[in-house]
Amino acid sequence: MTPASPRNQLLYGTLDLLILRTLVYGPAHGHAIAGHIQRVSEDALRIETGSLYPALHRLEARGWIAAKWKTSDKGKRARYYRLTRTGRRQLVVEQSRWQQLSVAVTRVLRPAE
Amino acid sequence: MLKQFLFHLRSSWDRRRRDAELDEEIRFHLDEEAEERVEAGQSPERAHAEARRDFGNVTLIRERTRETWGWAPVERLLKDIRAAFRMMRHNSGYTCAVVLTLALGIGLNAPMYEMLSRLFLQPPPHIEDPDRVHRLWVSERIDPGDRGVSTGRTWVVDALQWLDFDALSAADNPLIDGVAGHRVSFRTNGRGQRAENVTVSWVTGEFFDFLGVAPTAGRLIAAEDDDLTAQPVAVISDGYRRQRFGSAEEALGTTLSFEDVTYLVVGVLPPGFSGPRSNAVDVWLPLEHAATASRGNSWRRYGTTFYLTPFVRLAPGATEEAAGAAVTAAVRAARAGSRFPDSLDREATVALGPILRTRGPVTLRRHMRLPLIAGGITFVVLLIAAVNMSNLLMLRVAARRRELAVRYALGLGRWGIGRLLVTESLALAALSGVVALAVAAATGDALRRTLLPNYQWAEDPLGATAIGFTGIAVLGIGLAAALAPAVYAARSRGLERLDSSRGASALGTPVRTGLIVVQAALSVVLLSGTAVFYRSFEAARQVDVGYAKEHLLTVTLGSFHGDTRLDGLDGAPLDESAIRTMEARVRDVPEVLDVAQGTSSPMSGSGAVYADLRIEGLDRLPFRSGPHVNFTTPNFFDVAGLEVRKGRGFTEWDREGTQKVAVVSTSFAQQAWPGRSAVGRCLFVSGAADCTTVVGVVEPAVNWTLPEADPVYYLPIAQAASDPALVGWTSIQRALIVRTAGSPGRVEAPVLAALAELFPELPGHHVRNLSTQFASRIRTWRTGTRLFAASAMLAVSLAAIGLYAVIAFGVRQREHEFGIRRALGARASNLLRTVLARGFSVAAAGVAAGAITALWAGRFVEPLLFDGRTPRDPLAFGVAALVLLAVAVMASYLPARRAARADPRRALEAE
Repeated sequence: MTPASPRNQLLYGTLDLLILRTLVYGPAHGHAIAGHIQRVSEDALRIETGSLYPALHRLEARGWIAAKWKTSDKGKRARYYRLTRTGRRQLVVEQSRWQQLSVAVTRVLRPAE
Repeated sequence: MLKQFLFHLRSSWDRRRRDAELDEEIRFHLDEEAEERVEAGQSPERAHAEARRDFGNVTLIRERTRETWGWAPVERLLKDIRAAFRMMRHNSGYTCAVVLTLALGIGLNAPMYEMLSRLFLQPPPHIEDPDRVHRLWVSERIDPGDRGVSTGRTWVVDALQWLDFDALSAADNPLIDGVAGHRVSFRTNGRGQRAENVTVSWVTGEFFDFLGVAPTAGRLIAAEDDDLTAQPVAVISDGYRRQRFGSAEEALGTTLSFEDVTYLVVGVLPPGFSGPRSNAVDVWLPLEHAATASRGNSWRRYGTTFYLTPFVRLAPGATEEAAGAAVTAAVRAARAGSRFPDSLDREATVALGPILRTRGPVTLRRHMRLPLIAGGITFVVLLIAAVNMSNLLMLRVAARRRELAVRYALGLGRWGIGRLLVTESLALAALSGVVALAVAAATGDALRRTLLPNYQWAEDPLGATAIGFTGIAVLGIGLAAALAPAVYAARSRGLERLDSSRGASALGTPVRTGLIVVQAALSVVLLSGTAVFYRSFEAARQVDVGYAKEHLLTVTLGSFHGDTRLDGLDGAPLDESAIRTMEARVRDVPEVLDVAQGTSSPMSGSGAVYADLRIEGLDRLPFRSGPHVNFTTPNFFDVAGLEVRKGRGFTEWDREGTQKVAVVSTSFAQQAWPGRSAVGRCLFVSGAADCTTVVGVVEPAVNWTLPEADPVYYLPIAQAASDPALVGWTSIQRALIVRTAGSPGRVEAPVLAALAELFPELPGHHVRNLSTQFASRIRTWRTGTRLFAASAMLAVSLAAIGLYAVIAFGVRQREHEFGIRRALGARASNLLRTVLARGFSVAAAGVAAGAITALWAGRFVEPLLFDGRTPRDPLAFGVAALVLLAVAVMASYLPARRAARADPRRALEAE
């Protein structure tokens, strides 16, 4: 296990938000989700596989996402995750919580304005 | 919620499929990653390797993912349990040792605990609302001069005379909802040698209604039955029903006969019912019928010493103190208003106590203390077994350090390791618990019967209490035994070192050694207890009762017990010619040396006569108890084996018309005329005006409590027979004292045959063998000795196992070191001695700690020891210490030999 460097350490709970957000665009398998997050964040966020799969299974257990085996575009069997209805609601909650947090952090960082 | 639940459920069910799916998912991820890298221009091998490296620890990720599937704690537990059972299977020797010892410990304690709780905690069964039922304890002065027995001492007793009781039940008291009484005695049902002895309880009419018990068949005694005009009825216990009649249908309608009254059996009580007392009762009879048949109509009067045990049921909300005060007032008023207000203490006080006699204000009798001590002993055994288990677990941890270190490295974590050990310990304890239940089922009954033979045991020894105890013990010991090893394993730095096979053997040693010292100490406590008890038993066995007890048989031909008629005797004068024929018949039996007669038979306690006595020159009798008088034939002292120490015994010349003579026992003489000669003194017996001269002093004889020889004086039966004041005693009481050449058991049968022919009314138990009689007197000490010995043996073998395991393990760990020492020139004997010395020193520490504990614990057994022997007996301690040290040396000898044989070559090669 490579130790997590500060650069790619995620704030606790953020990974769930990122996964849910990614799945808005449609079902995807684990590798694709990680790749998507990495690409969109322009390599700023690298998802640890050590956290990814436990997170996916945890979200599945909570009923926010559902999984199904499908054949990938390359003809291999892959486990595709999709957002459920509760997952969509949860995404709204998580997103607004994140926004509140980020606003708060920004205020702290720029108190003079 | 439901969806989630189903999800968890499903994932638990098809976990194998999900495992495979997870593997496939991860494989897919790795393939995708590698493919991407190949597309970016890397070589396929390198791409695969890097994809794998970036992915991280596959096992760990799989593990963490699995945990999200839910039921993680449950699954972890199942896994740990599986691991625990795997461990037990692979180490069957170790498992057997732990399970066996622990099972014995728990298995003996479970029925013991059940027994103690029945004795001291739980009210007797089948009683409605038993917390409101109270036993009455009367504290009163015994009137001086009464029967010449006592001085003005105060006694506390759970008994009232009839008039007190009657006044109490007649008083309309708002604090008390009901009053009932019973009186328990041994009676003979039927006549002759086929008569049987049963325990009978005479009860007042309200008794069963008062207790709120329901019969299993028929009906119970009601208020109407307690009336001389009603037909005499009886109800029987379930045990007696089973033993004598079989089914309840067969029992109902049959009759029982006590003292010439025939009782119709009308009901059967539920199993385990013995009323408010703990010892078994066979038959219950209405008080009016039974008491009148036994005592005539005078039993109601004061001064007849007709006592019964009273119980009251408190009204809801009433306090014990207030009710006690009310009862006291009622009793005092009854006594003041009686015809003989001075015959009883008018200042008596009555207090309410719990229904259990054992919880009352009197000190426990010896036979009740024994179970308490036994409980303590078995508990110590349990402690030893638990410590032993902890120690063996500790050894397992040390031996499995490598395995645990690997598990730790694989991410099990400290908590995980702790958890694993606790689970293993609990699994071992649980297995032991199952075996313990079997042990309890097998031994429980014997344990009960040995300790308290007369107790009414309701349930199976394996009742709910015993099973509950086992469960709690399993849980408690499982957790406690794992504590030291788990803490040690979780904290040990050794875990993080995989290469710590050497040099780390000392890890945890202080804990292991400490545990062994504790075991050894507890063993010493039990060993010294055994020795103390054995010495006490020997002292009791060797006590000189005066009588030649190994060669005496007694035949009671007529007797009163206290003031109660015995077994079918109607108080009519004895048939002297039948007695003479009987004596001649017995004398003709081979091996019979001689036959004497007396009014009371040695060591039986029956037929003791307390005649009115005055001693010349003394205002009052100087005796603490007694004295009683025995009227004897001239050969009595010879036959009974009592030595005449001063003066002379009786002769044929001491008969009607010659000078009235008496012989006194040494204890009589010493108390009456301390330091002065007894011969020639005057006694005035039974109000006689003329002097009965003391002509001899005979050695003391023990009749009741060992080892106390009570003061006795003897009068010639021939002189008493012609004395109108004394003939009342001698004409109705008689015992034959038979001296045999060999064991008295061999003449029992012909004597019984003669008895059956000449005294067909008398039951067979009137023939008594003094040596068996004596054996039953020293039962407490014998049982105590056996109990201690068995526990000590168990404890010592446990300590030996523990010590052996620790020393052997230490030697195995240091085998390399021993090899090198050998190579450097150490002699085999040196190494042998080193290891033996270690075992010895551990045991010595245990001996020291045990001796201190035993000194402290001695106070608990002290009241049980014979004749005030001290439990702080240096010889007992010495023996205990020697035994333990010897066992320790033996236990360390095998490992020591192994150390001495350590191979220097292999050690050097390994370097």
